[in-house]
Amino acid sequence: MDAERELMERVARGDQGAFGDLAQRYSGKLLTVAGRLLGSRADAEDAVQRAFLQCYAGAAGYNPQWAVSTWLYRILTNVCVDELRRRATRTAYDERSAARPLSSSNHRPPDAYLDLHRALERVPREARVLLALRYVDGLSYGELARIRGITINTVKSQLARGKALLRDELGKRGAGHE
Amino acid sequence: MSDGKMQAQDQLDRLLADYFRPETTSPVDVGRRLAAAARESETALTRLEGKLGIEATPRGISLVRTGPAGKPATAAARKLTEQAREEIHEYLRGQRAFFRVPVDLVAVPDFQRKVLEAARLIPFGEARPYAWIASRIGNPRAVRAVGTALGRNPVPLILPCHRVWRSDGGLGGYIFGGAVKGRLAALERTTPVLEGCTSTRIVCRVGCIHGRHMRPDNRVVFASVDDARSVGYRPCKVCRPAA
Repeated sequence: MDAERELMERVARGDQGAFGDLAQRYSGKLLTVAGRLLGSRADAEDAVQRAFLQCYAGAAGYNPQWAVSTWLYRILTNVCVDELRRRATRTAYDERSAARPLSSSNHRPPDAYLDLHRALERVPREARVLLALRYVDGLSYGELARIRGITINTVKSQLARGKALLRDELGKRGAGHE
Repeated sequence: MSDGKMQAQDQLDRLLADYFRPETTSPVDVGRRLAAAARESETALTRLEGKLGIEATPRGISLVRTGPAGKPATAAARKLTEQAREEIHEYLRGQRAFFRVPVDLVAVPDFQRKVLEAARLIPFGEARPYAWIASRIGNPRAVRAVGTALGRNPVPLILPCHRVWRSDGGLGGYIFGGAVKGRLAALERTTPVLEGCTSTRIVCRVGCIHGRHMRPDNRVVFASVDDARSVGYRPCKVCRPAA
């Protein structure tokens, strides 16, 4: 962990090599979180790039009491949540207008997970973000709480509620197939 | 918990773990090109800011233009121009997602005022076609007149005529040039609208006076006030994000 903090210090000093190392180390996980939240590879890459840029620009403000991963996940989820907000208002507008002047892309999940993907779309955003972080990197409740700025009890109740919703949805679909 | 229930739980856990398994991938290219583009965009907007002249009446901002501006006639007008300058400064740096400073459209003809009020309804970070404005003001065939009215917007940036694009997705014209219009769209696309403070558990609109004193590591972005409420945040009473 200390090696990572040292890496961050070098990034803060403007060391591009250190920044490359950091990007290499985390881009896989960050891409998966973003991809699963935003639904498309292109949007995920865009979000991760923006997160890394913010990380580079804000490296001097990094608080060494934080694990580097926690800090990166905070930045990334901030970017992704804002993208989800934008998408929600855009969808509301597109549905009302017949013209659809601005592209509304249809995201296709991998087929094997189609049911789960659709079920996840019914889970409230905050719970979905926590589920993604929890399952991509096995983050602890404490880390999740810190990343989203909420209490550990809220983390637990959101995760439980999200999973209960998923079970319900998947149960319904399973029953439908039989 | 019964065995059956426990099994279902394990199954869901496994499914989720599979679904969210990190992919092995080549690192994202966070190249110099991207950083350079970000810097370039910033300097273009900073350059614009340096050239802006702002005029106000005691009721509100009446003119935003490139070039010199007249001296404010009263103390109230001077205060308003200072406020506008500060808000524009923050806006162009991605630190503000709304304007608080009032505008004075008394000198603006009726039709144009309606057009500008309609443009004001377009949410931050989004775009609507000229035709949307035209139908919104009950005059769906007046698309060209809408374009003209927006082109003469006396208070650009504050009243967001830059959020009105062509129906085919093209940018259309802009009082400060098409390039600036594109940069503003990119800027708004990367500026969040709602942020919560993790120490106070209050959610504000980005640009609220409270947010200015927030430490960077206390900042969390939310997609809606309801989302923030669901995890224990309350809306700010100053900027009133729920309104």
